[in-house]
Amino acid sequence: MSAVADYWDELVTTALLGTDRREPPAAPLGGLSDLAADAALPTASQQLLQQVAATVAVRRAGLLPAAPVALPAGPEPDPRPTTPPSASVTWRRVIDEWAVLEDEWVLAVLRQQWRLAPELVPSLLARHRSDATRHARVRAAAGPLADWMIDWSPRLGCAAKQRVVPELLAELPELPITPDLVSLLAAPTERVVSVLCDGLATGRLAVGLKPILVNLVARVQPMVLPALAEHLRRLTTTTSNSLGLSYALADLAHLRHQMLTELEPV
Amino acid sequence: MDAIEGRWQVEQVFAIAPRPDALVAAESMAVPDRWVGTGCDGQRVWGRCIGTGSEPYECVVQHAAAATWCACPSRLRPCKHALGLLLMWVRGQVAEGQLPRFAEGRVADPVPVADPTPAPVAPEASSAAPPPSAPPERDLTGSRDERIARMAAGLTELDRWLDDRVRTGLADPALGQYRTWDQLAARLVDAQVGALANRVRRLAGVVGSGPDWHQRVLAEMGLLHLLAQGGRRLPELAPGLADSVAAAIGWQLRQAEVLQGVPHTDHWMVMGRSDVREDRIEVRRVWLRGRESQRWAMVLSFAAYQQSLDTSLEVGTEVHADLFRYPGAVGLRSIIGQRHEEPVAAPEVEALSLTEACAQVGDLLCLEPWLERVPVCLRAAPARHEGRWVLSDAEGSLPVAADASGIGQLLACSAGGIVPITAEWTPSGLVPLTVHLADRAVDIGPVADSSFVRSAS
Repeated sequence: MSAVADYWDELVTTALLGTDRREPPAAPLGGLSDLAADAALPTASQQLLQQVAATVAVRRAGLLPAAPVALPAGPEPDPRPTTPPSASVTWRRVIDEWAVLEDEWVLAVLRQQWRLAPELVPSLLARHRSDATRHARVRAAAGPLADWMIDWSPRLGCAAKQRVVPELLAELPELPITPDLVSLLAAPTERVVSVLCDGLATGRLAVGLKPILVNLVARVQPMVLPALAEHLRRLTTTTSNSLGLSYALADLAHLRHQMLTELEPV
Repeated sequence: MDAIEGRWQVEQVFAIAPRPDALVAAESMAVPDRWVGTGCDGQRVWGRCIGTGSEPYECVVQHAAAATWCACPSRLRPCKHALGLLLMWVRGQVAEGQLPRFAEGRVADPVPVADPTPAPVAPEASSAAPPPSAPPERDLTGSRDERIARMAAGLTELDRWLDDRVRTGLADPALGQYRTWDQLAARLVDAQVGALANRVRRLAGVVGSGPDWHQRVLAEMGLLHLLAQGGRRLPELAPGLADSVAAAIGWQLRQAEVLQGVPHTDHWMVMGRSDVREDRIEVRRVWLRGRESQRWAMVLSFAAYQQSLDTSLEVGTEVHADLFRYPGAVGLRSIIGQRHEEPVAAPEVEALSLTEACAQVGDLLCLEPWLERVPVCLRAAPARHEGRWVLSDAEGSLPVAADASGIGQLLACSAGGIVPITAEWTPSGLVPLTVHLADRAVDIGPVADSSFVRSAS
């Protein structure tokens, strides 16, 4: 240990006991000693404070690295391309605003052979650790990095006890949709736009149905989304509630279209 | 020196009074019957004032340096006892004598007066880095005089408090009570040295927080002592250093004053972001580095409850803009002025080895040892060592602050390899802020609580 480090320890001991009980230690030869001699402060407490200030400044300004540490072996390489930076931004928006889209986002990553961006891996593993199926999807999307991270931080591992059913891994979970609207899931663009926009404009599809309509927009065929978003945004209705709902659904349709587009293969 | 030599005028006593009504109280103290053991020499005047306490208040004034010390509990400095003693001395009511024991080693607390002692001053705002700032203004008037007197009194009180702590020892159980620190902080706020009050309150949280808390508290007390001493000697300091000390003790410059300086135009890479709650305010620090100058700068934004932090500087982008620096030896704090282009993705960053990074941090801390955060961009990998995270390269390692966020993301982004990282050096370790990958900069800095501020990211 260096003389300054030893001196610092002695200063700490003196400060702990107090200068009423213990005299400040003699400074090591050099700048600290010169400073103490030059200042010639009259009381032990003043001397100690001055030496503490000077020693802290010396130690901080003289910052040096400690011995190097063995670096951990990395995960196995993963040849898949990393999801683009814009997809990370979209994922954050998805979980903040339209969490109903998250399953589809992860499945799109898997289907399009992307590798999950590393900065998202800890958050996604932690987020789904109580759901075995979703956690398994994240591990698949993250590749070897996921298991490597779990080795480092076991709290990122799955805490759910249920078994993973392999068939469910690639399957988009169903969402509750009323029977009169289920047919729209496979309908062409014109019909989906017409039913939704007319329903909102006339008030037949009211705010009370919002959860169902959100599920519907989250599951209609992707090709419908651009036109649907456009028409919903331009919709004119007589009630402000319907207008707010149509804007919200337009935003959902737009975000879903964006997330699927940016995850298309390069 | 003869005690008559250099005797003040009454007006000079009035000049150091913290406020006008203090003189009324001082006049009531300037009565020889209220004092015992008075005396003076060429440097000092002293005495014991019989007050309301069980013991007389010991009081010493070093008139040659306009410094005062009094054992009374008043927050106002100089107190009415010191002013009263000075008034008696001015009127020739204090005889020459030998310095008594109680007065030995007391005072070194300059109080600002027009003459003969120069006053602590505010930093001049007209200069901006990189050129050194203008010297502090010396022609002080009105409210500024009052404020300076309050600040000087606050610094004196802080130093006396620190002195008492090291005299009685850090093992004193009183240090474990928040009230002990909060009362001092409140007095520092009254004295308008709010930046020091914040440091004192933060220090209260360190007591008992770990096995090495004595070291951390003592180190911070040393730096507070340094600032208290420096703050009372601003006119003696080099201009840049004086500006730094003034800012560190809480002397605020208006933005308009800073914007009058010379702009530093560069392509500013947004290197990192860090949100920290300070009392009831969320503070966002955005660290910039000039592509051409390689100089660091820091832009602050503040948000109270349900207010928004500035989101205009996005990590990983570069903005071509004018930057106005607050004066100071290091001159990190800055304001963005005119932006000449829309932000674009920043180019690949230049990062240092750990040894080089330590040297860079050390250079800045040489200039301002009280800095609590210093930015650095280094190439390293996260690793575990003796139960804590460190950043390591082939040459060495540095500890990561125990409460640093984003370690998981850093580990995932590095995948065990060495990557460029922007971090803040702090006394308790490095706080990683950004991982610079080939195609993106990943912002992993501490984020404001979204239930407190709007739009935290």
